[in-house]
Amino acid sequence: MRRNRRRGNDDEADVDMTPMLDIVFIMLIFFIVTAVFLDETGIDLTQPPPPPEDTPPPPNQPPAITVYVDENSQCSVDGVSSTCNGVLARIERQLADKPGASVILRFHPNAKHNVLVQLKDGVDGRGMQSKIEVIEGAA
Amino acid sequence: MARRSRTVIEDEGTELNMTPMLDVVFILLIFFIVTSVFVKTPGLEPIEPEATTDVEWNPTILVAVDSASNIWIDKRPYEIEEIRPILTALRDETPKANAIIQADRDADVGTVMGVQELFQDLGVTTLVGTE
Repeated sequence: MRRNRRRGNDDEADVDMTPMLDIVFIMLIFFIVTAVFLDETGIDLTQPPPPPEDTPPPPNQPPAITVYVDENSQCSVDGVSSTCNGVLARIERQLADKPGASVILRFHPNAKHNVLVQLKDGVDGRGMQSKIEVIEGAA
Repeated sequence: MARRSRTVIEDEGTELNMTPMLDVVFILLIFFIVTSVFVKTPGLEPIEPEATTDVEWNPTILVAVDSASNIWIDKRPYEIEEIRPILTALRDETPKANAIIQADRDADVGTVMGVQELFQDLGVTTLVGTE
């Protein structure tokens, strides 16, 4: 009698795990296949919102150095054309004449994205203040 | 006598101890469930510009811009005029979303900045992807 009861307990403990295992394996394979491991880096190109129209411009505005990149990705600094790799050196030279100047990067909409990132990255890396503008006409 | 002992050995051979394997399988399963992000990938990987001031970024919305300035979202190309409702829908799915614009080196500045402006309008934090 006692032996019988014990056998009954054994049966209960021995649940058939096979269907659960099937499901677990299918879930495992599903999650392995759909897993996307993102490894992204990026830089912030967002611009501060423009000030409201009715505020007057601050009186002692620091001088600005304007870089223009046209639709053929040709660069110019304050109207003097330059190679795009030489723009940063030119800005640094201009900065000696205009201390504390901020940099305005103006782009034609068809200019290449690479030039924008290269210039913005260089200017940020040197700790200068910069502003990006995308405009149709020449500066 | 001999027959009985043989059957006992066979029984032991078929009953492997599966518990350690099950432990490992469950740990793997939980790992993949926890780390899985269901992002809609754009379907292409543009050659992005290089930068030295870039930061690590974990986006949930991915938009790619190829060298011909087509905008790719969830494996379909779009023009800049038609993506506003799509981006709004993506934003509403995950309200705390971060976005990345994966733009090709030869993409137009106007397109990339246009997409970024749309994201800013929708209140989504956006970075531009670099290599």
